[in-house]
Amino acid sequence: MTVSGIAVASRRSLRRREARVGLLFVLPVLLFFLAFRFGPALAGGVLAFTDYTIGAETSWTGLDNLRRMVDDPLFWRALRTTLVYSVLAVPLSILAALGMALLVRRSFRGVRLFRSIFFLPVVTSLVLAGIVFTWIFSQGGPWSSLLGAVGLPDRSWLSDTALVVPALVIVAVWTRFGFGMLILLARLQDIPRELEEAALTDGAGAWHRFRYIVLPELRPALFFLAVIETTVSFQVFDTVYVMTGGGPAQSSYMLVFQLYDQAFRYFDFGYASAIGLALFVMTLVVALIQRLTLGRDR
Amino acid sequence: MRTRNAPTAAVLALGIGLLATACGGDDTDDAGGEGGVSGEVTMWTYPAIADEPTHRAFWDDTIAAFNEEYPDVDVTVEIFPWADRDQALTTAIAGNSAPDVVYLIPDQLPAYARNIEPIDDYLSEDEKADYRQNVVDSVSIDGQMMGAPILQSVLALVCNKQVFDAVGQTEYPETWDDLLTMAPAFQAAGYDMTAYRGDVANSLNLSFYPLLWQAGGDVFNDDGTEVAFNSDEGVRALEFVQQLVEDGYVDSAPLTTEPPLEQTRIAQNKVACIWDMEPQYLVDFWGAENVVVRPPLSDAEQIQYGTVGSLSMLRTSENKDAAGAWIDFVTAADRAAEYDTAGRFFSTKESVGTLYDGDPILGELEQYAGLTTVGPLNAHAREVMGVLAPEIQAVLVGDKDPRQALDDAAAAANALLG
Repeated sequence: MTVSGIAVASRRSLRRREARVGLLFVLPVLLFFLAFRFGPALAGGVLAFTDYTIGAETSWTGLDNLRRMVDDPLFWRALRTTLVYSVLAVPLSILAALGMALLVRRSFRGVRLFRSIFFLPVVTSLVLAGIVFTWIFSQGGPWSSLLGAVGLPDRSWLSDTALVVPALVIVAVWTRFGFGMLILLARLQDIPRELEEAALTDGAGAWHRFRYIVLPELRPALFFLAVIETTVSFQVFDTVYVMTGGGPAQSSYMLVFQLYDQAFRYFDFGYASAIGLALFVMTLVVALIQRLTLGRDR
Repeated sequence: MRTRNAPTAAVLALGIGLLATACGGDDTDDAGGEGGVSGEVTMWTYPAIADEPTHRAFWDDTIAAFNEEYPDVDVTVEIFPWADRDQALTTAIAGNSAPDVVYLIPDQLPAYARNIEPIDDYLSEDEKADYRQNVVDSVSIDGQMMGAPILQSVLALVCNKQVFDAVGQTEYPETWDDLLTMAPAFQAAGYDMTAYRGDVANSLNLSFYPLLWQAGGDVFNDDGTEVAFNSDEGVRALEFVQQLVEDGYVDSAPLTTEPPLEQTRIAQNKVACIWDMEPQYLVDFWGAENVVVRPPLSDAEQIQYGTVGSLSMLRTSENKDAAGAWIDFVTAADRAAEYDTAGRFFSTKESVGTLYDGDPILGELEQYAGLTTVGPLNAHAREVMGVLAPEIQAVLVGDKDPRQALDDAAAAANALLG
């Protein structure tokens, strides 16, 4: 064997050893993930094909739960409401995050304080936020008083079948924009200033600098945010539970709420798991579509 | 746990439950020799006695007294919050970590029936014979008692004297018509005649079903195979609520949401009469001198909701004899009466008689115990509420008319009943 051959073999051996050490380091986390995330998810998937009810014999029911779901008007209503909510909440959250990230991108006195304040809603309990927003959106509350000042009627948005989802979207944007802001801010800091300065020298305006320099650089972060925010939106539960209970008249009844009802109010775990399975497939499909569109160049 | 990850959490609970159930042991009785019983008994209960130290002291004393008779039984009583108790119990049953004994009300019994050991064989004959028949009926499924009753609650009409004085009204309503006749005067003076809490999280046993029963209707047909709330009586009951809402005789906020009691007009002394709360909980807000207990409202019938709290043994208990002895001991007339008095409930035993003679609130309420029902004992009762409550809301927010809403709910409910 030549000297270079010995060197290559030595490097391979070193890499294998490093890989084994690396694997040992991640093994505990991997085991926990398999035991407490993947395993239960798999079990939930299996339950979707059974009539599992606590204390009763469990039997294999094949596609019965899925057929029931297809025939269940409440499922379709919950799905439609979830989609409407997500279509509103995801872009608005990302837009708000982008706007705030651009605002706090520059260095100025107190910028760290502003960044911290804007991030605060992310670490605020959703239940707590839900309680506060229930008051904000109540009749005679701050929101309706604000709208009353511009001539709109004083009404509780949470009691109005047409306004309850927009109200929940506002809460979602408030609670989520800080996370997106942080992600986008990190990416913005990586964009070389020279690029924008060169464009400025060439006479590019603010919009053109944003459109042709900043936005393309943000694309991977925006793709990441789109996937995360879509997943979070599909799984909305806390605020619905606290603020509306799915009402009024089921106008804010969403998929996870139906899953919760079926599992923990009616103890129909098989059907609840089928809804969970549908939610998983839906999230996966949307993420793949997003991957094909937003993330295709990366 | 952040419920933002609710689907994952639910799947996690289910998965653990499945694994734990698979690993569970056999049910084995662990009775001691020569008629003695031994073993560990765990009981889950809830703050039926609102004052926690008083509640805890009651159970400590009861355990001590029980151990004088049964020194080899180790009893642990755990007091959990009312909120989410079904979720906790369900998860515990799934995870094979359920208690031996649990406090349940009739509304819950059908859902847990397959997990419950009938209690008949564990109660002494004297104590069993001492129960009032309507109490026994309220906890019986297929002729077997699914729990040993320990308390009874009663709802009636409760009116705020301060509000009546402010309006100058000296008579209290007895019928729906009375309520509607008096309402404009209260409205003109800035008060609500009554309150209707329509949040879907609320049990219809408290809000709509009493009106349905008063109108002469019922939730299910006689054999429980179909719902019956979309009858003419049901429509009349819902039209009554609709009129209260549309004419502005009730606050609109609680129709779709559930604000904390202290933030409601009830607590702010702005509501004349309500039918969905026990009067003892209003004393702090209205003052005892202003809490006036009246008979349940009547229309075609005079009837109200009242529940029966019972102690049930779970089938998974490994010490059934010990658990049975504990339940029999705790629900004995004298011991239960002590509990009832501390919690301001009523006795389920004939031999106890009245507990609150001379008490202007509880003594009055006690008279109406015979006018109450515990509601439907149907395995699908809660699912039916789940489809009916949103349809009632749809009427109250003006999206549907009562007949249409009840028919839609009935179609969905009958599909659930199969």
